[in-house]
Amino acid sequence: MRTRLAAALLLATLATPPAQAQVRSVELYAPRPFGYVIGDAIALTVEIALDPPFVLDAASLPRPRALDYWLDLREARLTDHGVSAGTHRYTLDLVYQTLYAPLEPKRLAIPGLALAATDGGRRVAIDVPAWSFLSSPLREIVSTGAGAPMALRPDIEPRPIATAGALRGLVASTLAALAALALLAWRMGWGPFGRRQRRPFAGASRTVRAALHASSSSAYRAALLALHRAFDATAGKRVLAEDLPAFFEAHPAFRATETEVCRLFDASRRAFFGEDAAGAQGELPAPDLVALARRLRAIERGTA
Amino acid sequence: MLQAPSVVKGMSMRVVRELDSTLSDARARALRFEHEIGRVVLGQQRLIRLLTIATFARGHVLLEGDVGVGKTTLLRAMARAIGGAFERIEGTIDLMPSDLVYHAHLGEDGRPRIDPGPLLRQGEDLSVFFFNEINRARPQVHSLLLRLMAERSVSAFNREYRFPHVQVFADRNRVEREETFELPAAARDRFLMELQVGIPADAGVRRSLVFDPRFHDVDMLLGEVEIGVLDPQWLEAVARAIQAGVRGSETLEAYTLALWEATRAPQRHGITVEGVDMERLVQGGASPRGMSYLVRAARVRAFLEGRDMLVPEDIRAVFPEVMAHRIFIDPVYELRREAIVGGLIARLFETVPAP
Repeated sequence: MRTRLAAALLLATLATPPAQAQVRSVELYAPRPFGYVIGDAIALTVEIALDPPFVLDAASLPRPRALDYWLDLREARLTDHGVSAGTHRYTLDLVYQTLYAPLEPKRLAIPGLALAATDGGRRVAIDVPAWSFLSSPLREIVSTGAGAPMALRPDIEPRPIATAGALRGLVASTLAALAALALLAWRMGWGPFGRRQRRPFAGASRTVRAALHASSSSAYRAALLALHRAFDATAGKRVLAEDLPAFFEAHPAFRATETEVCRLFDASRRAFFGEDAAGAQGELPAPDLVALARRLRAIERGTA
Repeated sequence: MLQAPSVVKGMSMRVVRELDSTLSDARARALRFEHEIGRVVLGQQRLIRLLTIATFARGHVLLEGDVGVGKTTLLRAMARAIGGAFERIEGTIDLMPSDLVYHAHLGEDGRPRIDPGPLLRQGEDLSVFFFNEINRARPQVHSLLLRLMAERSVSAFNREYRFPHVQVFADRNRVEREETFELPAAARDRFLMELQVGIPADAGVRRSLVFDPRFHDVDMLLGEVEIGVLDPQWLEAVARAIQAGVRGSETLEAYTLALWEATRAPQRHGITVEGVDMERLVQGGASPRGMSYLVRAARVRAFLEGRDMLVPEDIRAVFPEVMAHRIFIDPVYELRREAIVGGLIARLFETVPAP
């Protein structure tokens, strides 16, 4: 349907032959030239070929604006195709909108454009030809039908936006986030995970803290006992002081606390078997005991 | 009057200090004793440690093992190092109690004479009595031995002979069952420990035992052992000092009683041994005497470790040797006794909480 309208133009009658060759061609491509009603948009395409080093002068391009009381230039978009085979090509896309309300079919003209090309010093004009089309009325001059001839028509119903994909994404990411949270809680021994069998030091650490609030000698013994039970549960058997090398062999992660654990077992020996509670607390004071319990818990959950 | 408490305190301090220095001297001698034995008996450190414990606990020991693993050599070395009078006798099927006590022979004047036998020959200084192959002797001999071990005395020549320092070492081999007599439970209960003698695990030790000529002539080898590293009378005093000086706390008492309870009814403590019906396994647990022997031996172990307090490790270190032969199990399991009782004891220490 596109009609080729314009061909190469002679730009200036007085131009010298080299100057003529500076603008190779200006071609205007337009849609059908009839059947337009008020509010229609008309898209024109101009193809321009220049001889390098000439380039299109951006300052001469039209800016979207109202050209007339009935004609708006809505859009002007220049595409630079660069130089190929010795020619610099551009495409200029123009979108006009006609707001003319004719009573009968009427020819209207979109005026031509005056563009310019420059090589830095010299300047040549590029004329884009005008284009005309037939504009038609929307209704009869005198109404022949019944009822209000131009009653407002209902709005077009909005088309629903597809949301199923986003919804699925939301559900999947929520599930993933919950799973990640559960995994984190499991690793850190938070909440109910702190009480499970495989984290004896998590429970022991709580007991030690709670017991040492009381800060009596029986509380100190209770704290030691809690840690002993945690060592037992970790090893799967009773761990005595002489079993510590084997314990560290089997659970190398705890080796970082070897010195403190040996002090713990020394203190425990004094407290339980030497009947020397004061000596035990001197060997491993209560705050150190809490710190050790916390460190053991951290090693146990792998965050030390 | 005001001075009195501090004087008393000063005196008791001195007693404690003397006890401490006695014990630390004794410990040095005990370690030298171990070292002396260890020079001639290779690769048996644990066994030697247990024999040292038995010696310082003044307990009798029964050694068990295959033929030719060095039981006799070990005991002879011990006897040399302990010092004092030493007697030994070989168990045979026709050995009668009177053969131990009396020596009947013809005198130079041609008249029959009865002199003191091996047991009495050394008088009351007898410190080590070594009974070889005890399971070949008859029950009559066992009962004489029972009295010797329990009361350290025998009756002969119409009077009572007392041996205040005697320590009985006996050995038996497990290979032969023909013409042997199982020791009665009462006699076994009098032994502080029953030790299993095995072949050293270390390959280097095995090689020297086989190829080093030093180990081929036992008499020469034993000549290297210093005589009388310990002294029987001194041993008695030290043994008493150890039992008085090594303290056991209430927690440890509770632990020991819990162990005892668990040996008597292991199923109630959730102890299981693979392939064994726990309900019927144990027919009789350890006796009170057994438990008191256990604590005696554990105290000596604490002393050898240089501690003046008893800890669960001490109990555990001596438990199998002191207690295994005191646990009576269902005859169905008797043939697999070593594995089952060993497993039971191992599980016991994995289960009973300490402290």
